[in-house]
Amino acid sequence: MISSLATMPLAAVGEVGESFFHKRTGETLPCQARGGHLFCWDWATENIHRFGTPTLQQLELTLISVLIGFAIAFALALLAHRYRLLQWPLLAGTGILFAIPSIAFFLLLLPITGRSRETAIIALSAYTLQIIYRNVMQGLANVPDSAKQAARGMGLTERQILWKVELPLAIPEIVGGLRIATVSTVAIATLAVFAGGGGLGTQIYNSANLSFPTAIIIAGGIAMAMALAFDAVFLTVQRFATPWRRVEAEAA
Amino acid sequence: MPAAEATEQSQGGASSVSFQDATKRYGDARVPAVDHLDLEVEAGEICVLVGPSGCGKTTSMRMVNRTVELTEGDILIGGESVKRKDGPRLRREIGYVIQQIGLFPHRTIAQNVATVPQLLGWDKERIRARTTELLELVGLDPELGDRYPVQLSGGQQQRIGVARALAADPPVMLMDEPFGAIDPINRERLQNEFLRLQANIRKTVLFVTHDIDEAIKMGDRIAIMHEHGKVEQYATPAEILMAPANEFVEDFVGADRALKRLALMRVRDINLWKAPHAHPGQPTSEVRALLDAPDVEVPYAVLLDERERPQGWLTERDLAGDTVPATADAPLGPVLETGDVMRDALADLLQGESMYAAVVDHNRAIVGILSVEIISEFLGSPEAKTEEHPAVERPRD
Repeated sequence: MISSLATMPLAAVGEVGESFFHKRTGETLPCQARGGHLFCWDWATENIHRFGTPTLQQLELTLISVLIGFAIAFALALLAHRYRLLQWPLLAGTGILFAIPSIAFFLLLLPITGRSRETAIIALSAYTLQIIYRNVMQGLANVPDSAKQAARGMGLTERQILWKVELPLAIPEIVGGLRIATVSTVAIATLAVFAGGGGLGTQIYNSANLSFPTAIIIAGGIAMAMALAFDAVFLTVQRFATPWRRVEAEAA
Repeated sequence: MPAAEATEQSQGGASSVSFQDATKRYGDARVPAVDHLDLEVEAGEICVLVGPSGCGKTTSMRMVNRTVELTEGDILIGGESVKRKDGPRLRREIGYVIQQIGLFPHRTIAQNVATVPQLLGWDKERIRARTTELLELVGLDPELGDRYPVQLSGGQQQRIGVARALAADPPVMLMDEPFGAIDPINRERLQNEFLRLQANIRKTVLFVTHDIDEAIKMGDRIAIMHEHGKVEQYATPAEILMAPANEFVEDFVGADRALKRLALMRVRDINLWKAPHAHPGQPTSEVRALLDAPDVEVPYAVLLDERERPQGWLTERDLAGDTVPATADAPLGPVLETGDVMRDALADLLQGESMYAAVVDHNRAIVGILSVEIISEFLGSPEAKTEEHPAVERPRD
């Protein structure tokens, strides 16, 4: 794996910005000779292969973080659904995590967990908690009382009511939460480089500076495309998982 | 309190329900929501719990399926205490219909109806057959089974609600203001449909409403509750209308209870008048003779066809000739059937602005004449106020 940054000593972290922007790849950059072009096609075609590994890393970071975040947030939401008293403390707790500035979060974790992909994943997962937790809670709150009352009256157990009535009806909000969480994780994962987590950030903060934005544009473009692709996947999942919503839309 | 064994016999898949000192106290509340309720509901009957809001009728009903737990006392279904099973298992054996219907929006109509059979672990084929049967039973096309609730009208949804409650053929049904959220026209239709259905399936039904008219219409017996589940009177609709047990019942039933009695009667239950009959071609002198008879009840002759079906009323002009003409000068006006409910018959008379209405049998042949006067005489007569009046039986199709 991995970019040159991942092997950087911890001591260098303090001057992270400086070292990024002064670092040169050492290669001849044909466009530079012709002055500050916004996008250098020659360089792009020659160097596109460098984006392969970072893209996969970005994908991995996003998927693992969202998965872990979802598992934790979903469990917390079920807990809060069962024990109403936990609702507000959990909302506040995940809210505080969500409010920590991202770079600060990565840097804060470094002394504890070291420079690693895991450090990045911890921070990224923490960011998804609030979004997913809120949406699951919202989805459960939107389930009509009459459906729950009827379910209970017909002899469904509390567990059956949760899994057969409440959660299926909350799917739209839950998937909605996953969509937002995933798209924002793709974006924030470009900062994983500060924790030594790799990803597209390596191409943004490593090989580029402000006078040579081509790499930034490519990396940013890949990240955007990735976010849009995730969004489309979730939309499709939602459509197929909630056939009754389509019917509702037609009936309205 | 009659012994449990006495109420144990069930009738065609129905069980008796017996409240025995059933009491519900919420938390530390000093006054119980339901205070030592004793009530015997016979198997196969519709028992309506009616009363002002907060009287404890819904709480009483919910104690039966233990969606509200008893604090004291007991409720027996077919002689067996509701406490002997855990809540969910008990509820699968009791049909439950609520006002908000509560269909599951994410499941198809067929899946909704199949809810309890699925919980009971029926096999697929049996569930499919039962679902089709039930949709037909409540008068819906089984094709609707693949739709989602949102695609159905309110009335259709409530029919599904009833079908779903009947799915596992429970001996007891609880219906909590089941038609309360339906518009008046559809409500009446659903009430009639349910009565027809009940005539076949003969379940024991506990039916909660705050509407005394609905109670009179639906109930074999009515329990009028005041507060804390105190039953002021438990009797047939006719008894409650004829002989309210106390002032509370009298007030609750309302000043128009004489009119409400009409809802309990059919046209055939009352003595109709006779109008002179006339047929086309008959000499008018014969008709005049009938009209001049001292005991004539209706001062007009009704024109009949060869199968005794009324065609219209004859006027002076019709009788001016020698023979009765083929068509009558005055239109017939409202026509009633012997099976019509008296209240509807009166409404027809008033709406038709007519003094008289011809009453016909199922062949459309005349059986007599109903007039506003007959109805008002009946309402004013001591006969109408007697408890034993044989005519006042609950109408049944």
